[in-house]
Amino acid sequence: MQIAKMNSPPPLSAPRTIQPPSFSPSRLLSQFWRLTEYWDLLLTLSLHRIRIRYKQSLLGGAWAVFQPLSLMIIYTIIFSKVARMPSEGAPYAIFVYVAMLPWNFFAASLTSASNSLVSHNTLITKVYFPWEVLPLSYLVATSIDFLIGVLVLIPLFVWFQMGVTLHVLWVIPLMALAAAFVFSLSMILATIQVYFRDIGLALPLLLQLWMFASPVVYPLSAVPERFQAWFVLNPMAGIVDGVRRCVLHGASPDFHSLRISLLTVLLLLPVAYGFFKHKEASMADVI
Amino acid sequence: MSTSILEFKGVAKRYTLRQESAPVNGLLARLRSKPVEYFWALRDINFSVQAGQALGIIGHNGAGKSTLLKILSGITSPTEGIISLRGRMAGLLEVGSGFHPELTGRENIFLSGTILGMRRSEIHRKLEEIVDFAEIRPFIDIPVKRYSSGMYVRLGFSIAVHQQLDILLLDEVLAVGDHAFQRKCIERVQVLKNSGVTILFISHDLKAVEQTCARVLLLDKGRIIYDGLPSEAIQAYQRSRGSHFGVRRTQGPPPVEVQRVAFLTEQNQHTDHGTTGEPLHVELLFHAHAPMDNLAFHLLFYGPDGNLATDLNTRTELLSVPEGTAAIRFVCDPLCLPLGLYQVDTIIERVGASDPVEHVLGCAHLPVLSPQPVQGSFQQPCSWRLEQQ
Repeated sequence: MQIAKMNSPPPLSAPRTIQPPSFSPSRLLSQFWRLTEYWDLLLTLSLHRIRIRYKQSLLGGAWAVFQPLSLMIIYTIIFSKVARMPSEGAPYAIFVYVAMLPWNFFAASLTSASNSLVSHNTLITKVYFPWEVLPLSYLVATSIDFLIGVLVLIPLFVWFQMGVTLHVLWVIPLMALAAAFVFSLSMILATIQVYFRDIGLALPLLLQLWMFASPVVYPLSAVPERFQAWFVLNPMAGIVDGVRRCVLHGASPDFHSLRISLLTVLLLLPVAYGFFKHKEASMADVI
Repeated sequence: MSTSILEFKGVAKRYTLRQESAPVNGLLARLRSKPVEYFWALRDINFSVQAGQALGIIGHNGAGKSTLLKILSGITSPTEGIISLRGRMAGLLEVGSGFHPELTGRENIFLSGTILGMRRSEIHRKLEEIVDFAEIRPFIDIPVKRYSSGMYVRLGFSIAVHQQLDILLLDEVLAVGDHAFQRKCIERVQVLKNSGVTILFISHDLKAVEQTCARVLLLDKGRIIYDGLPSEAIQAYQRSRGSHFGVRRTQGPPPVEVQRVAFLTEQNQHTDHGTTGEPLHVELLFHAHAPMDNLAFHLLFYGPDGNLATDLNTRTELLSVPEGTAAIRFVCDPLCLPLGLYQVDTIIERVGASDPVEHVLGCAHLPVLSPQPVQGSFQQPCSWRLEQQ
């Protein structure tokens, strides 16, 4: 008994309180900080997401390669051979593949993360942990697919005899920005879905439209000049175009559109987090 | 500084009752602000717990037990009041919550453990202990969807009680597995308690509460109506249920109608409880609106765990009843049921008909007291003698 007591970490430190929800910035910040205690949970959940996804499937992890490659081939046939889309001098296949990497990451993680609360309703009514870990874990799991997609890019570059410059490192902050954008959006959408399941039904359609509003299958430069100012208000436009510039053209991203993306995310993240925490207090009563 | 590890001050929880509407009208109905109804699941809850104490919380369904635990574990927030607590707390509202059927036992230990707030390093350290306690070593690397329900709950419980914590919340979780495992669970809780862990134990299982806790709160309609010794609380709990008549399940007026179920002693005195090992008479009063034949009468006793404990019936001989009121007396000599509160349902069936003639849930409630604790599921009457060989 004595030993058990000595083993325990210095217990009964500062008292915590549980009280009716309050949304002062300091409380939100401390909750955000508490998220670090759940790093192990995030890691475990994300690992399991990846494991579960390909369990009992014949091809397993090969799907992560097969999916983007087949889409690349389809888009190349439609938009390059049939529709004669301009591709800024690069082979169309690689032109569209490079843009599909960030876009698929965005679409796939947003879809699964927005669904994460509803799909874990039994968990949410039984045990508490900061529930934003759920959308986050989908984000991490989708990042793995993104990394696999990047690995596939290497043989493609060799095949098309293309090179990269140091500017390729821009991909890291660009993808971090995309991840923060998905996280913010998914916290809002996942919360709304707890109340109205319409989100899950509308999202695939919305993402389809959104893809065609982003420079994925066509270059940003193909957008008429007078629309471009509006066009880059879509944060994904700046991100997708930025990734293509630094990977394909060895240039730095367009800082004007990137600034808009960054500003949007910086504004959205605290709003989304506050909204999420506000609704979290009563989510289990509704779900 | 007070020595309490956990303190509730004026905690209350209000739920909003909304009318469910068809999905198409859902949004419209919500926009057209209808008068909302409120329901207070908890009111004015004040208590504090000392470190190392085991506190039992009992009450009838809907008394607010689970709401209290949900607030404490952070699943839902209180409407009023404040709770202060120190140290690490983990709750187990349902064993095996957070298990994923496709993952193996080992993977689920990590999943469920981290959901409960454990570090991966801590789980690595405790893995062997968890597996041994759950008695699932040969199955540790197969998916839990292939587990028996017993293995499932054993693993769930084992994870929960092997973490380093200061406050442990248990909701009905000891009512799992077979008797041997239940005893093991209670022993484990005892060990945790002795090592200074504070335990909040919510249960319908009065026996387990009495064995585990030195102090019991009795909740009724969201308020604490008793706070003190387990034996007193359990008696108050059993009294508070009275003998109000239950819910009729049959459609339309039954041709043979149950009017009352009463409990009597051997001396024909009405009684409000039974005692294990002593005789008890149960009287079923009914009114037949027309003569009827081929009838069988059942009194179903449901135990504290919600399972059917016994079925007293007249099936050995089919009965014909004339029009009018009559009673059937069942003589239990002795009563074999162990300590607990039993709900009595009545079914009158006509042999050959698919639906019962009469079916009433909760006609009566029978508290059973046991002067000596009953080991196992019931007290088998037996005599014994010593024989020299």
